[in-house]
Amino acid sequence: MNQDRRDFLRKAGVGALAGLGAAAGLFPLFALEKTDMAALSDTPVPGRIRWGMLVDTRKCREGCNECVVRCHHDHNVPDFGKSKSEIKWIWKSGYEQAFPSASKQFQNPEIERRQVLTLCNHCAEPPCTRACPTEATFRRWDGIVSMDYHRCIGCRFCMAACPYGSRSFNWQDPRPAVKELSPTYPTRERGVVEKCNFCSERLVKGQLPACVESCAEKALLFGDLNDPKSEIRTMLASNQTMQRKPELGTLPSVFYII
Amino acid sequence: MNKHLQTMIALLIGLVVFAGAALFMLAGHHGALPATAAPAPSATAVPAKAVPVDSTRCIAQTEWMRAHHMQVLNQWRFDSVRHGNRSYVTRDGRRFDKSLNTCLGCHNSNPMFCFMCHQYANVKPTCWNCHISPMESTK
Repeated sequence: MNQDRRDFLRKAGVGALAGLGAAAGLFPLFALEKTDMAALSDTPVPGRIRWGMLVDTRKCREGCNECVVRCHHDHNVPDFGKSKSEIKWIWKSGYEQAFPSASKQFQNPEIERRQVLTLCNHCAEPPCTRACPTEATFRRWDGIVSMDYHRCIGCRFCMAACPYGSRSFNWQDPRPAVKELSPTYPTRERGVVEKCNFCSERLVKGQLPACVESCAEKALLFGDLNDPKSEIRTMLASNQTMQRKPELGTLPSVFYII
Repeated sequence: MNKHLQTMIALLIGLVVFAGAALFMLAGHHGALPATAAPAPSATAVPAKAVPVDSTRCIAQTEWMRAHHMQVLNQWRFDSVRHGNRSYVTRDGRRFDKSLNTCLGCHNSNPMFCFMCHQYANVKPTCWNCHISPMESTK
């Protein structure tokens, strides 16, 4: 043998590569995996859509709770019967509670008495997601401030951070407190925070949020705030609207016509 | 011994080493998917959108699912909840919605499906603390 070690290894390597090439030709399994473009395009582009809602408080009927009932039924929101452990996704507040910084001097008394529909504002700059130490709550690709209940450790930092009181904590096991179990949506468990999810489980099926659908007065308008031609943007452009506590800079996605 | 023969021997040794490594990799797939080429997906088998439950076959073989369903569920949750990627394509080109409801669409038919095995394996997953179990939904 007059061949040195380096020469031998080089040739053996070429042999192994030839084997790989032949194998790739013979068995498709050995070929490099093809990039599936269809699978890639299934992932939405973050920030392209920003879901928002416009609440027309002029149309909202006094004493009507249809949207609240429908939402809380569909999402298995428990009712513990005590305001201290109340769980709420959507509820009605007094005008002053909803807009504490709005001017009230010589305000129309009818407006001051008005009950305003309040829910999670799905802020563009959400303070709750910054407070969450486990990223259990996060701002989604479509602007929805979402919760992953699997990750929630129940520290309630998000509740302290939210300036709108949109988050509730399950002090007890909520399952027995759900009056009528809606089989299409999970419940929560003891020790997690919950909130409105803008009906992301319905949006993925191409349906409108349950509250919007249930409103007989058509007082709720849902749409893409990033699309200048959308109905909600047209309405926002042609009406005087308010956001809750705009001075905090949270940029809410829920707007109000007073 | 001439130069050509030496080269051929070296190449052959390299080939043998490669074949050995390849066989080792194949033999290492105990209980996993068999390393055979998947049939080429036909155009009709791939629906345009992710369909939830319309399937006669599971996303993978039973043996593999038995060992890996928890990883699949974790990955599906991560993809769909965090990134909005809801479409799962199997090796043979079928599409599924990344959702627990996809699983329950078929496995609901036996309300004991999850429980029998978990009881036997003495594992206590917390899924049904929140999700509606097949025992409850088919009550």
